Amino acid sequence: MKKVLIGSGSAFWGDIFDPALEMAQSGEVQYMGFDHLAELTMAILNRMKEKNPEAGYIPDIIPWMKRLLPVTTKNHIKMITNAGGANPLQAALEVKKVIQELKLGPMKIGVVSGDDILPYIDNIRAQGWKFKNLDTGEEDIDSIRDRIAAANAYTGADLIVKELKNGADMIIAGRVSDNALYVGPLMHEFGWKFDDPAYTDLIAAAVTVGHIIECSACVSGGMSNMWKVSERPWDIGFPIAEFYENGEAVITKPKGSGGIVNSWTVKEHLLYEIVDPANYLMPDGIGDFTALQLVEEGRNRVRVINMKGKKRPDTLKVCIGFKDGFIGEGLVYFPAPDALEKAKWAAKWVKERFKKSGVNFRELRVDFMGVNMLHGEAATIEDKDYNEVGLRIAGRTNTYKEAEVVRREATHLWTMGPVGASFGVPMNVRPVIALWPSLVPRDAVKVESQLMEVE
Amino acid sequence: MKKVKLAELAFARSGDKGDVSNIGLMAKSKNIYDYLAKVITPEKVKEYFGGMVKGGVEIYPVPHLDSLEIILRQALGGGATCTLRFDQTGKSMGPVLLGMEIQASEELLEEAKAVDLDIEKQYACS
Repeated sequence: MKKVLIGSGSAFWGDIFDPALEMAQSGEVQYMGFDHLAELTMAILNRMKEKNPEAGYIPDIIPWMKRLLPVTTKNHIKMITNAGGANPLQAALEVKKVIQELKLGPMKIGVVSGDDILPYIDNIRAQGWKFKNLDTGEEDIDSIRDRIAAANAYTGADLIVKELKNGADMIIAGRVSDNALYVGPLMHEFGWKFDDPAYTDLIAAAVTVGHIIECSACVSGGMSNMWKVSERPWDIGFPIAEFYENGEAVITKPKGSGGIVNSWTVKEHLLYEIVDPANYLMPDGIGDFTALQLVEEGRNRVRVINMKGKKRPDTLKVCIGFKDGFIGEGLVYFPAPDALEKAKWAAKWVKERFKKSGVNFRELRVDFMGVNMLHGEAATIEDKDYNEVGLRIAGRTNTYKEAEVVRREATHLWTMGPVGASFGVPMNVRPVIALWPSLVPRDAVKVESQLMEVE
Repeated sequence: MKKVKLAELAFARSGDKGDVSNIGLMAKSKNIYDYLAKVITPEKVKEYFGGMVKGGVEIYPVPHLDSLEIILRQALGGGATCTLRFDQTGKSMGPVLLGMEIQASEELLEEAKAVDLDIEKQYACS
């Protein structure tokens, strides 16, 4: 039975590099997906591009490709990445230089772009579409229109499939969904079509498997309840899916790598960051995780069977980022005796100072680190003398200047607070890019692709 | 019946989707799942988290995985990019839920313990 071997090389901008290189060196995969984008990342990359038209992609892709391309070329592995971010074409031009420098050509790079709908968002609205906020229910973007920093649609695998068919040796895309990085190669290899209902469950299986492996270490021992039994976690191996043409898949990791893949780690990730498990909505299909079953097939191998789902939706998710104030934050730690009392005293002191300086807070938050910062109202406060307690104070304001007051008053606690007040390094005020999740008609998004030939 | 923390009967992992905190609650056995599916109600979860969860709570059963998907709306201070929470993406919400106290029978507790021992035995690292 035909099978396709596909692995995950990255889950975010800043992921560790060696598991990707080790997977490429192992030669155990034909394709590797590299996700580098999160909601906020697109707004940051857009700002980089505004300042410099030749920026706006994930800069790490250059040093990564210098080390990966010699190995992937030798082992015939095709890399699919969304590191193009806000500027896929420029990213491809830079990777072209790497290929030429290292004399790895001839190669073909598939460049996929067109997810940025900001340039024509008003045209879409003029045709009667409203960008309703899926979180708050607000009808359209009028109240934030002049503050929008990015608007990117999560596009699907269509053009990845197209350029692989055209002979691309690697794909550099913009904001294609993380999931499409995996669905694309599988659709290409197996020849599935979106419009043929015979393939609906198979594509949904690819969507499901994409979800399982797209977050790199998160299914192979990272962020896991299995942390105590994860083997050499510092040598963690990123996940590999062996996808079979009958729609079953085995989740595993490179031989000899550290970490753990068992039915618990796969469950953890299936249930991770989803809402309705029967309707996992992605641009290429809808996965139904309530039908599938997991079968452990020996150490670090889990088979996923009976994957089902529905055909892809007519709308795409669009993430609109807009400027929405500033956050200022301060942190001070107090030692025993009376650590918690000292922290409470300091919280009162700092609040009085805010009153005096007349800051208008949109929101102010006080946490006692080591006591209730993560547990909130679910914390059981013990009547004991804690060794140490931290005071964390965070405020959101409309202006930079007001947010700066939070930071400054927290530092004043160093000299004016209770005895023993200890501080680290003060945190800088940060601008807030709030997110407006919405939908856009699939047909309204002008995705495009090209094949860049490198001699 | 014995009063225990949920951690004895299940694993949990949580993350974010905008202002939604989602918790995958994985029962340690089929029997435990059947029991938890009855006693872990949206009302009980909402009460446990108190003011941390400003919106509604929904629970989706995933019986083939012996798991519950717990959805907490308006629970992350507006979402990762604008929240004042230290834990911006709600990674701690699952483990925090495991601190909830519930009643459990000796049989279920023994089943759970057997699963813990099995994991330790199977995957023990040298």
